[in-house]
Amino acid sequence: MIEISNLTKHTGNTTILSDLSFSATQQECLGLFGQDHTAKTTLLDLLAGSTQPSSGHIKIQGFDIQTHALKAKQRVGYQLSMDLGHPTMSVSAFLKFIAAVRGLHGADKRARLEQAVARLDLFAVLNAPLDALSIGWKRKVAIAQAILHSPALLLLDEPTEGLAPDQKHSFRGLIQSLTQEMTVIIASRHCDELSEFCTRALVIAGGRLVADTPLPDLQRDSRHFQAVTLAADTPLDLLALAVLPGVAGIEEHRHAPGTVTVLAMPGHTIYPHINTLIASRRWKINSLSLEPGRLNDVVHHLSQEAPR
Amino acid sequence: MKLLPIILRRQLASYACTPSTYLHIAVFLILSVTLGRYVSPWPEQNSSDLQVFFQFHPWLYLLLTPALATQLWADESSAGFLGLMKTMPITTYEWVIGKFLAAWLVAGTALLLMFPLVIIANYLGKPDNSVIASQWVVSWLLAGSYLSVGCFICAFVRQRTVVFGLTLGLLLTASGLSAILDALEHQAPIALIDSLAALSPTLRFSNIDDGKLTLRDTLYFISMILAFLTATTVTLNYKHS
Repeated sequence: MIEISNLTKHTGNTTILSDLSFSATQQECLGLFGQDHTAKTTLLDLLAGSTQPSSGHIKIQGFDIQTHALKAKQRVGYQLSMDLGHPTMSVSAFLKFIAAVRGLHGADKRARLEQAVARLDLFAVLNAPLDALSIGWKRKVAIAQAILHSPALLLLDEPTEGLAPDQKHSFRGLIQSLTQEMTVIIASRHCDELSEFCTRALVIAGGRLVADTPLPDLQRDSRHFQAVTLAADTPLDLLALAVLPGVAGIEEHRHAPGTVTVLAMPGHTIYPHINTLIASRRWKINSLSLEPGRLNDVVHHLSQEAPR
Repeated sequence: MKLLPIILRRQLASYACTPSTYLHIAVFLILSVTLGRYVSPWPEQNSSDLQVFFQFHPWLYLLLTPALATQLWADESSAGFLGLMKTMPITTYEWVIGKFLAAWLVAGTALLLMFPLVIIANYLGKPDNSVIASQWVVSWLLAGSYLSVGCFICAFVRQRTVVFGLTLGLLLTASGLSAILDALEHQAPIALIDSLAALSPTLRFSNIDDGKLTLRDTLYFISMILAFLTATTVTLNYKHS
């Protein structure tokens, strides 16, 4: 459905993206990760058709973004990382304008507007000027305008920036429902936040695509994969934990005394052994959690390893 | 061109929401009437047209046009809004023409607000309303050609003060072309002076003193508008690529 082949983007003498190729099908949610924010945003800009590639091709539902720009743009919704602002327009006027530009009119336009407003819960700010909104609300309005026309491809650039924790929770639900309807590509520096709903991870480093893999596989590369974090009021016997089979190391949390993370060797499961130890030593444990793997660490590691 | 009416409506709404639009139109009207009334005492002339009021328009547009031009891309002053507009399925031509037409309609509205003068002229004497209509059309065409220049400058710079300054400077040069030609009269070949004179919008405008709207003058203004709008579109397309 979306095909990107040999995509390269130069600005002046700088290569921002080099020879990127990947494809995505419907109902896929792709996480776009990497420490180079410019490269990620440039890729989204290229997919949205707001900038032209130096070489390579992008096809959205069969329409080339360079030769059939308007048809391709009609199939894309884009929430930019830049804050939306307008000196005079209210949220309602802005969404109506975007709906009109997207070719919606009449009852269909009203229905789509109501749906987008309800999905993002924008009722409280409908009559507020865009410039008066907080960053979090601006993000929500930007997402609302991106989904108004039910695009085939939804691009989200740092969508959770500025959102309160409870808003982030409802955002997760929104993305999960949107993934049922369209292809979603989310660029974020908070990789772990996206681990629940992204099916695939794309990691860009040094302008190249250094990883295109299912998200669980990327998590598996983390040294915290299958690690167990324990928190107790009394100091724990670290030596007893260290000699358990499959334990690779122990990390003490400096800012939370009594909390330790026990790392597992690749291919080993240490959770049952730790449970048995806790029961036999009768430790009073406040919390015990099994880590799925820290994506941020893996992305950081991949970024450091990438050739410049 | 499906989206042109939407861009046009949005731009008109933008002008309507901005107090400076009303202020500049008011200043334009007041200066038109005041200058016409006191510099050339119209009622005593028993004129059959409103030439005394229209004759200052090439100079008064030097205030109104840059003011309207600075508003052209005011919506896109926010980087986020501009970035978003680039992702919309709008052609650059629709964008440029929609915005230009809105500004031109505002200039036309300012001219229409001179209607009390037409009523007074008809009340006091027997003016030739067809001559007044031609003067109105040429003044509107002149406003359009000046606005197209402003539109072109907006394609290069976004800072309002710079847009205002550049538009004012360029239009001032165009308006002062006749003075330059007078100075060059004995130093340059006549053919060159004639060619430059043919390019001067103010000299074209002064051709309609008698109220005759010729096809040649009309085409001059229209071609100037089209040339600058095309240059604006080409420039924006180049910048976006």
